[in-house]
Amino acid sequence: MPEPMGFYTDTTVCIGCKACEVACKAWNQLPATDGGIAELSGQSYDNTLKLDGIHWRHVKFIEQFAEDRSEGRWLMLSDVCKHCVQAPCLEVCPTGAIIRTEFDTVVIQSDTCNGCRLCIAACPFGVIDINPAAGTAQKCTLCYDRLQAGLVPACAQACPTQSIQFGPIVELKERAHQRLGQLQAQGESRARLYGADEEFLGGLNSFYLLVDEPEVYGLPRRPVLPTRNLRRSSLWATAGAVLLTLLGVLGLRKRRIEEVAQDGTANSP
Amino acid sequence: MSDTFFTTSPHWGIYVLLYFFVGGIAGGSLFLAGLLHLFGTPADRATVRTGQYVALVGAALSALLLTLDLTKPFRFWHMLIESNTGAPMFKAWSPMSVGAWTLLGFGALALLASLGALGESRGGRWGRFARLARGGPGGVLAVAGAVLGLFFAGYTGILLSVTNRPIWADSTWLGLLFLLSGVSAATATLFLLGRRIIQPRATRAWLVGFDRRILTLELLVLAVFLWSLGAVAESWVGWNGILLAGGVAGAGILAPLLLDRSERRAQRETRRAPAAAGLVLLGSFLLRLLVLVSSAGIQASGSGVTGR
Amino acid sequence: MAECHPVAFRWPLKAKLAGAKLIHVDPRFTRTSAMADLYAPVRAGTDIAFLGGLINYVLHSPRWNTDPFFQEYVAHYTNAATLVREDFADTEDLNGVFSGLLQYTGGVREWPFNGFIGEYNRSTWQYARQAERSPEPHGAPPARGATREPFDQLIRSLKRPAALKDPTLSDPRCVLQIVKRHFSRYTPEMVEEVTGCPRATFLQVAETVLANSGRERTTAWAYAVGWTQHTYGPQMIGCCALLQLLLGNIGRPGGGILALRGHASIQGSTDVPTLYHSIHGYLQAPSALARHATLRDYLAAEAQPTGYWANMPKFLVSYLKSMYGDAAQPENDFGWDWHPKIAGDHSHLPMFVAMAEGQVKGMLCIGQNPATSLNASLERKALRKLDWLVVKDNFLTETATHWYKAPEVERGEVRPEDIPTEVFFFPSAQVAETDGSFTNTQRMLQWHFKAAEAPGDCRSDPWFTYQLGVRLKRLYAGSTLPRDQGFQHLVWDFEPDQPGSVPGEPAIEKVLREINGFQTGEPATQLAGFSELKDDGSTTCASWIYCGVFPAPDQNLAKRKQADPPDHVGAQLNWGWAWPANRRLLYNRASADLDGNPWSERKRWTWWDGKRWTGVDTPDFPTTKSPRVLANPAALGLDAHSGASPFIMKPDGVGWLFNPAGLLDGPLPTHYEPAESPVANALYRQQSSPVLKRWVRQDNPLVAAGDARFPYVITTYRLTEHYLAGAMSRWNPWLAELMPELFIELSPELAAEKGISNTGWVRITTPRGSIRAKALVTRRLRPFRIGGKLVHQVGMPWHWGWQGVVTGDVVNELTAFVADPNVSIHEGKAFVCNVARD
Ligand SMILES: Nc1nc2c(c(=O)[nH]1)N[C@H]1C(S)=C(S)[C@@H](COP(=O)(O)OP(=O)(O)OC[C@H]3O[C@@H](n4cnc5c(=O)[nH]c(N)nc54)[C@H](O)[C@@H]3O)O[C@H]1N2
Ligand SMILES: Nc1nc2c(c(=O)[nH]1)N[C@H]1C(S)=C(S)[C@@H](COP(=O)(O)OP(=O)(O)OC[C@H]3O[C@@H](n4cnc5c(=O)[nH]c(N)nc54)[C@H](O)[C@@H]3O)O[C@H]1N2
Ligand code: SF4
Ligand code: SF4
Ligand code: SF4
Ligand code: SF4
Ligand code: SF4
Ligand SMILES: [Mo]
Repeated sequence: MPEPMGFYTDTTVCIGCKACEVACKAWNQLPATDGGIAELSGQSYDNTLKLDGIHWRHVKFIEQFAEDRSEGRWLMLSDVCKHCVQAPCLEVCPTGAIIRTEFDTVVIQSDTCNGCRLCIAACPFGVIDINPAAGTAQKCTLCYDRLQAGLVPACAQACPTQSIQFGPIVELKERAHQRLGQLQAQGESRARLYGADEEFLGGLNSFYLLVDEPEVYGLPRRPVLPTRNLRRSSLWATAGAVLLTLLGVLGLRKRRIEEVAQDGTANSP
Repeated sequence: MSDTFFTTSPHWGIYVLLYFFVGGIAGGSLFLAGLLHLFGTPADRATVRTGQYVALVGAALSALLLTLDLTKPFRFWHMLIESNTGAPMFKAWSPMSVGAWTLLGFGALALLASLGALGESRGGRWGRFARLARGGPGGVLAVAGAVLGLFFAGYTGILLSVTNRPIWADSTWLGLLFLLSGVSAATATLFLLGRRIIQPRATRAWLVGFDRRILTLELLVLAVFLWSLGAVAESWVGWNGILLAGGVAGAGILAPLLLDRSERRAQRETRRAPAAAGLVLLGSFLLRLLVLVSSAGIQASGSGVTGR
Repeated sequence: MAECHPVAFRWPLKAKLAGAKLIHVDPRFTRTSAMADLYAPVRAGTDIAFLGGLINYVLHSPRWNTDPFFQEYVAHYTNAATLVREDFADTEDLNGVFSGLLQYTGGVREWPFNGFIGEYNRSTWQYARQAERSPEPHGAPPARGATREPFDQLIRSLKRPAALKDPTLSDPRCVLQIVKRHFSRYTPEMVEEVTGCPRATFLQVAETVLANSGRERTTAWAYAVGWTQHTYGPQMIGCCALLQLLLGNIGRPGGGILALRGHASIQGSTDVPTLYHSIHGYLQAPSALARHATLRDYLAAEAQPTGYWANMPKFLVSYLKSMYGDAAQPENDFGWDWHPKIAGDHSHLPMFVAMAEGQVKGMLCIGQNPATSLNASLERKALRKLDWLVVKDNFLTETATHWYKAPEVERGEVRPEDIPTEVFFFPSAQVAETDGSFTNTQRMLQWHFKAAEAPGDCRSDPWFTYQLGVRLKRLYAGSTLPRDQGFQHLVWDFEPDQPGSVPGEPAIEKVLREINGFQTGEPATQLAGFSELKDDGSTTCASWIYCGVFPAPDQNLAKRKQADPPDHVGAQLNWGWAWPANRRLLYNRASADLDGNPWSERKRWTWWDGKRWTGVDTPDFPTTKSPRVLANPAALGLDAHSGASPFIMKPDGVGWLFNPAGLLDGPLPTHYEPAESPVANALYRQQSSPVLKRWVRQDNPLVAAGDARFPYVITTYRLTEHYLAGAMSRWNPWLAELMPELFIELSPELAAEKGISNTGWVRITTPRGSIRAKALVTRRLRPFRIGGKLVHQVGMPWHWGWQGVVTGDVVNELTAFVADPNVSIHEGKAFVCNVARD
């Protein structure tokens, strides 16, 4: 059993070239939206806009400029499945199509998935969607096939700046903390790691170095497991069910008594 | 902004909507049938049977709708059996997994109960099933049916809450809300169907009375649900909110309540009750529609969120 | 750089992670700016003002004036001390022009398309010399037969008296003083007024650059077409070179000016040129305009008696042998008369003007898409005048389809049946479908191997060119016309020894062998380096600079793929092969001080170990020439240089701050406004370059400075997602969806003023044309304050056309035929337009 593998993405060196996005499509032979005939989104240089069944990587562009341009940043982040250690999608999948691999990554088995789409609603990061070509829910496999062949994932391989770093999670975390220290030493107080510890979902096997709040990058601040709501929801519902039953039973009993009373009067001379 | 806003919609559309509606009625009906079987009078038998038939038809419809909703319908069985190992597939913590098994069990119960009902009413070659409607077996079916019925009517709401989608996962009250509106819709259904099977006034009065109580509860829970959303409640500002207030709370709950009250004054069945029942059905349908639509409108896009 | 050279950009980012500071100077905030520590916005076309400001800042900074490193480097490694002729007059004296400005009179009747509006007589720009006497160009004819160095006397006859110098650098006529005066008006205030770059930002850049130059640190400048595509493009790069020489950043690791080149192997296409104006190895193309009548005339005009170019006869004769083989003999000037001669500027723009005038019969368009190129409607008008057009491409490009799909055809202004041109489409193989070499921007040759068979009738470019040659030779075989003798004698044998998978495909390594060179007697003996070249015909070599890449039949050094071990400071000398002589850093003798010791341990690269030059790189200096050797005024070639003269290609062995020769538009960089500009030149009365090229035609109108109808500066550029005219990217759905539609980037301020909304349609108009694009409103663009006036600037990527998966208007409908006088580079980077909601 190999050790857990994953991604450390240093967004501060992402140049938004989208090589990762294209390399992923090439390796996994994913179609383009409408054969490539898309519309200009107007949202900076982002025209694919989201992760879905045919976009397993998606590069985000965030423009932060003061009105007088005295301050200006253009943040970029290559988004992908986080391969959560406690994966919401895997948790709820009713067919067992979603599995955890020997690399501690999360993979959807397309031949098992029946397209109920619960995982889509369960993923806190909006990663999964149906791939119209396959007709099943799909997402980044962390190049399970390449990993099994001892290769680096296509996206990491293509990344010219090593913004996407692939490797054993333990090593990646060391590197990430070094880089974080460097940035903080340079006075980048906003620098932080996202998903590099157990704070949520047991940690993310694809974690990020950010230089702003997670929300700025379209990431949930504190992603959670869907089942967090299970207990309470069931409790209220059960209570309600009991109450309903009582009401019903009592109502019917009352009616019985009334009827009996009525009959009594009816029989009297 | 709620963490649920960075997620993608599962695009649950018309099939799921109809399933939520039909399932609620089916579950509620078997629950009512059970109650009337156990605690009702012989006069209620016809209604018990109707309830059981409704449950059966509803279960069948539900199975159909759910299968149609899958992008790979012929793999519906993957919900019950692991396709690659053949082992049974069950996740106690995944409402959809549990729901799949429930539907199976519920369907079976509804089938047996309906057979019993046929035996009881038709006799003849159906006669041999009559024992399912009487004595021990009848009792067991009634109890089990009532329990599974309630579960079936309510679990869909829990399923929505056990995700990470906006509104659904931002409250834990959807399960109860769906349960109540499901059972109330069931009472309305039995009431309406009752007009065809000359239903005794006593039964009808009880149904109406029971529904009034459920509706009152539902109104209360609806309020609690909205309150529990906290800041997310903002996303109801707009048409969805107006429809929720006017359509669900107003037309679907308050109106029937008022109509029933006026009916009670008349101390006699008027021509208004069916209208009330109709409104109840409309309300419970709208409720599910709006809960689905309002959440689906919120999508992760670019580096942010659209649709709010 | 992040946008257009993303893979190369990994190195700047590695440097950044190692603590280097990244600065980006650009009119727009781009993906490169996003990575930079410091972003300096400038109005398009004003970099000379910016760089001039830096030069002025450096020259007046206390550190530069006191740090001995700068003093030594500049005094000994540049021509700072050299005196310039008395009659030289600077832009300071003539308000924006140099001495010697004339009306253009050059050119020949047969080629009236050169586009010059003026020209300089450059005699006054020369060095002041002892007893000036005009050189005697013709040496005595060499004895026939086997004299060893027959061209020696000729070269010797070119010698001129040594130039006057003032080692104290104080003489007002010395280069340094001239430079100081020239840039004195480029103050921070002036920089802000001209470029629009906030003064504080400019000063931050200046401080950072100076602080990171010197003994221990170096600063490197990388540029591409943001600097070149101007009517003073070469001057822009020259200006940076001047700054780098002043800062001692040339010939040292981590220094230099790095040209980030374009098309894959565009470097190779200038080394082994597809250019009209030079033959292999940067030798001037023989010209009917210059004194090139005979081989000797040519050498007299082009060769230098001192410096490495004194070897030019060897390069040229070996080249002629590669052209005409045995037919090339001393008796017939090695076939000089057979060699084609140019009659003027035959580069892209004048060529298309000639075409539009009906002066060009046919065109082989191989890997180019002119139907979308500058002033596209004029280019297409020209194409319609052709008798025949061959398009050899991987895709049915706009050029291949212009005759039935161009906008003017769609609009009904042109009818296909009225176009006389016969158009042939020749499907082309891709790079991966043939063997060959790429030469990258570091002058490094890397071999690429055939990965797949080309589909169907697709053939490689070598196949096409070789087969064309074979057929033409056959065609002219019987001719008795003198002009056809060139073809008859042309050596054209690249037949593979054993037939390959594609019939007719030439043996590509035979081409490389001819380029590398061999002993004329026995072709199997390939040359190991250009030091082996002879001027008596005994060696054959097409391109002297590539000599050594293929030293033996089994040693194609371009195929090497051996990287240096990790964390070893080296030059990767066993990875591929870089010209010249596998040197990775040119003029690297400058990385050592006068005595040959590294300026600093941190920056050691090439040094003198007491007996020889060594280091991590191939020394760019005679290996055993001691740093203490004095110059020998009587000698030729490198012997005329001292051991402390790193710039071996220069006749005087030093880097040129002041250019007495080489450039047509001035010995020093000077800020001019682009040919079209919304503002007046704040520095001089002279608005734009007095010698820029402009083709005055009614279909190529330009507007005067400040024309209110076209108030906005517009620049054009590339996106990472697309490639040039788009054939290679807009046909690919994966790339198309990333950038699906043509857009114009503009600031919220301008958008608001014009009522334009994000993703709304905009109409962009220039005097040449009008197109439609969607608006991308972003604060990455900003209005500039230029001389108190608010100047808006817009930008457009130019990758779209009517062919492909995603299509859009052709941005080059907007651009003009204007160019720089040295290399005729167009001004696609700065012109004016108007925008309106559409
Ligand atoms: N993805 C991609 N890569 C490419 C190409 C491609 O088409 N697509 N083309 C290749 C080719 S052929 C070439 S030549 C190179 C070109 O490489 P680049 O020169 O980098 O390409 P451009 O985007 O045309 O211009 C670069 C920048 O110059 C800025 N600019 C415009 N005017 C000025 C000015 O006056 N001063 C300054 N300082 N900046 C200015 C533009 O805003 C732009 O950001 O790229 C090569 N690489
Ligand atoms: N306004 C404006 N105009 C510009 C520029 C600008 O910045 N602004 N940039 C200028 C610059 S730097 C350049 S380099 C030019 C580029 O302008 P062009 O060279 O005209 O445009 P490309 O799209 O590069 O055309 C190359 C063609 O070669 C084809 N091709 C690819 N590989 C092969 C092959 O192996 N063999 C053959 N035969 N064909 C092949 C491609 O399909 C493509 O059609 O544009 C110039 N025009
Ligand atoms: S990110 Fe989403 S899809 Fe990926 S593992 Fe986590 S929950 Fe599943
Ligand atoms: S869509 Fe497929 S993968 Fe997702 S939960 Fe349903 S079955 Fe599992
Ligand atoms: S790991 Fe593989 S599948 Fe996942 S994004 Fe990268 S390339 Fe695509
Ligand atoms: S390839 Fe690397 S640099 Fe380019 S967008 Fe992806 S992550 Fe960023
Ligand atoms: S396109 Fe090719 S040449 Fe250009 S950067 Fe990318 S890999 Fe390098
Ligand atoms: Mo280029």
